[in-house]
Amino acid sequence: MTVKVLILEDNPVARSFLCRVVRESFSDSIGITEAGDLETARRQIGIAGGRSGMHGVDPFKLILVDLELPDGNGMDLLAELTQYPATKIVTTLYSDDDHLFPALQRGADGYLLKEDRFEVLVEELQKIVRGQPPLSPAIARRLLTHFRQGSESGRSATQGGFTLHGGFVTSKPVPLVDKPLDHDRLTPRESEVLTYLSKGFTIKEIANLMGIKWFTVNDHIKSIYKKLNVSSRAEAAVLASKQGLV
Amino acid sequence: MSALPPTADFQVTAPADAQRSPGSNHAWHGERIPDGPARTARWIGWRLRVLVLAALSGCLLLAILVRALAAVPALPLELQGNKAGILSLTDTTGSPRAVRALIDAQGVQTPIDSLLLQRSARWLSGDAERTWHAVQHDALARALALGTLQLQLDEGQVVSIDAQPHGVAGLGPMFWLASLLALLLYGVTMVVLLVRPVVRNGLYAVMALSQVGNLLFVATESLPLLGWPLGFMRWDLALRCTLDLATAAALVHATGIHPRRLPGSGSRALLAWAAAGALAAALVGTTLPNVWWWTQAVMLACGVLAVLQLGWMQRLQPHPLAAVLWRLCALMVGTLLLLTLSIASLGEVTARAGQAVMLGASMWVVFVASMLLLLPFLARTQQLMREFALLAGVSAIATSLDLLFVAAFSLGNFTSLTLALFIALGVYAGLRQWLLNQVMARERITTERMFEHLYRITRQVQSRPQSLGDQLARLLRQVFEPLELRHLARRSSHARVVGDGASLLVPVPQVTPGATPNVIVLGFAQRGARMFTADDARLADRVVDLLSRAVAFDQAVERGRSEERVRIAQDLHDDIGARLLTLMYQAPTREMEDYLRHTLKDLKTLTRGLAAANHQLSHAVAEWKTDLTQRLAAAHCDVGWDFTWDTDLELGIVQWSALTRVLRELVSNTIAHAHARRVQIDGVLEAGILSLTVADDGCGREPQHWAHGLGLGGVRKRVKQLGGQVQWSEGHPGGIVCRVVVPCKSELPMD
Repeated sequence: MTVKVLILEDNPVARSFLCRVVRESFSDSIGITEAGDLETARRQIGIAGGRSGMHGVDPFKLILVDLELPDGNGMDLLAELTQYPATKIVTTLYSDDDHLFPALQRGADGYLLKEDRFEVLVEELQKIVRGQPPLSPAIARRLLTHFRQGSESGRSATQGGFTLHGGFVTSKPVPLVDKPLDHDRLTPRESEVLTYLSKGFTIKEIANLMGIKWFTVNDHIKSIYKKLNVSSRAEAAVLASKQGLV
Repeated sequence: MSALPPTADFQVTAPADAQRSPGSNHAWHGERIPDGPARTARWIGWRLRVLVLAALSGCLLLAILVRALAAVPALPLELQGNKAGILSLTDTTGSPRAVRALIDAQGVQTPIDSLLLQRSARWLSGDAERTWHAVQHDALARALALGTLQLQLDEGQVVSIDAQPHGVAGLGPMFWLASLLALLLYGVTMVVLLVRPVVRNGLYAVMALSQVGNLLFVATESLPLLGWPLGFMRWDLALRCTLDLATAAALVHATGIHPRRLPGSGSRALLAWAAAGALAAALVGTTLPNVWWWTQAVMLACGVLAVLQLGWMQRLQPHPLAAVLWRLCALMVGTLLLLTLSIASLGEVTARAGQAVMLGASMWVVFVASMLLLLPFLARTQQLMREFALLAGVSAIATSLDLLFVAAFSLGNFTSLTLALFIALGVYAGLRQWLLNQVMARERITTERMFEHLYRITRQVQSRPQSLGDQLARLLRQVFEPLELRHLARRSSHARVVGDGASLLVPVPQVTPGATPNVIVLGFAQRGARMFTADDARLADRVVDLLSRAVAFDQAVERGRSEERVRIAQDLHDDIGARLLTLMYQAPTREMEDYLRHTLKDLKTLTRGLAAANHQLSHAVAEWKTDLTQRLAAAHCDVGWDFTWDTDLELGIVQWSALTRVLRELVSNTIAHAHARRVQIDGVLEAGILSLTVADDGCGREPQHWAHGLGLGGVRKRVKQLGGQVQWSEGHPGGIVCRVVVPCKSELPMD
């Protein structure tokens, strides 16, 4: 059975390079659909089962999305595809957390840096598909801050309802719920993993330090990714309801 | 008068704190710092109504006085006195005719002389003179009351005159001016009394109302035509002396308890009140000989006592209000002494200098009244009022001098008046600033010095906005030289003077939005020698304004700079980066591809350096480790990593990007040329020195013979840029060790 892959990339040279990477990474037969802009990508996704991948059509299993596109930002497509049952990967030149973090919040399962070597990309792509997404120290730090703020505002919400801590408006809206939600909190193990990651330790080193198997570390990372996605969606929903959008 | 600001209170004490909850008080030198106008609405209620009532009744009383005076019959003639004390009347031919006596309608004849022109008994020193003055005025009043009177001229000629009422229009400008001043003082007194009915404000009211009475007498006696109700001149002395004595006793009492209570002030106050009371009783009974002398003596004694009390208070502990009051009292007592001496030296010939005595004495009353009027506003003094008080004081001195000249040098009226006026004006023009400085102890910092301070501190605040509070405190210290300076966590929108001008509250502008509000409290300006005024508060506000503007400007510049950098970085990254990427994918050889990848990474480092702010060392180390480990792992090379630091400092952009590229270059070399199996990277930051060691077990030998291509040259260049050294040597058992030592000082100290 053919595995369907969508590659959204405006630069044709880069696109063919990514095609090679994808073909190299998997032994299954691959059916690659290429898209040069958001519109084409949306059309292709519409044919392949719509945004939620339903209607019994064979959906894409893997989607590579470039962020900078001629007719918009790949981030928008990611936001539209939160329900789509594919592995979504951001391929970009931007390696800084300011660009990557929002993509992860919008449900990306991982990211590839386009300037990496062919072999590196193949390996990274395989890892992501296997469920071993990368986490740079900067993004780990960002995640720590994100969840720390989340749990703090959760606590303040239980005490005082609408208290804005420090008197100034944070980027994170205050949850309107009475108890802190699970997705707003990391388990102690997850926090530990993130802390090690933020200090530049590799997965193997972390497994050694924590006395666990490396795939357990990976499970933690996957769980963190999921929580980030869920909490970001909840946050967006709260924000939207507050602004009267829903 | 209701238009006066509610805070216009004598012993300043902001009105709000009269009814404030005790919990919100902030102790500060035993004074209370008011909470601002928040609670003015409550206290203002009934007081405002009483104030309006008082103001209306004051106006009504004045109207009644005006009506009564306008109806009093007057002598519609202008009589003149000469040096010999003879009254004269100018006839139609223009030659003076001496007037000898007054004959009323019932034929009673009373001899009159120039003493009749003396409009007040208050400043007649001799008992006999005063009695004679009263007799003449009684006769005139009686004659005027009968409607027609006759004046007997020289050579037996008789002039018949019909009495005419003064009329409202005939009251003269002096009357209106003096009664207006009286009304003003009365209004201020009522405000002070209503704002805080305490003993010291009561004493102020006694003094002020006494002077209101005096002013009304001055007004009444300034009528252009002769003619007062019967008995007016008999009561004039008793009443005016009583008012003056009350003022003097209240002054002693007040200076004993304010601004600070002095030991034994009660007994001194009692003594003063007793002396004044006894003398006033004697005045009413008119049994005491030389009563004028007694009055002047008691008044001067009280004045001197008040001055001494204030001086004593100042010596015990400097208080700016005490210093200012001391000066004011000294000035008042000094002029009173001068006036008394002038009149005393004139002796029995007062009549000769009749007009001058009147003028001098009136001037002194106006001066005292304006001082009292000024007192509640000392801390918020208006330039106009200060000038007015000063002018009144100078006029009092001038007329006193005039009297002295008349008495001592027998100069003519006109000559002496001109001379005194010139001297007084000269003194006023020459010493005005000095006098103002003395009264207010206002030694303003020179403009140049002020500018210099401002400029320097603005520059410093611009370079370090966090230090705004400290810099502002420093500037205020230099400008106002306060005895004490303290920070309080309070919110205030503008600078305020509190506690009798003892303290000035200056808000510190907030640089960061989350900071706690803060005010600087300055205590006792000029080492306690002067009071803070509204001008000072305004100046402080301006300074604060300027400094906040400097900070805002700096922040805007910084924002613009960083926006510009981010834009350049983005353009570089997007355009050049995308092209390099395309080139890299199409590179014909592996070396070319690596070279382009390297270039692309350098470009990314560069653009990140441009866009990002500073990097914390621990964060940078984590990134280096991840990056290098990943690259070495891809080259199937083991990594040993050990990095320690004694302080986690903030790396500047230059430091960060140089170190990042040096490390990357060294690792690239190891991968590309050495074919190493293992690389050990060590870093130590100790006492501001960062040592990096990259050791491999590759095939590199004899580093001294290496040709320095782009890569190694770049490493040297960057290390040199950081002011450090780089050294390559052979390792044991093999391979190459590269050692980089750079000084690494934080650009900003970490908290």
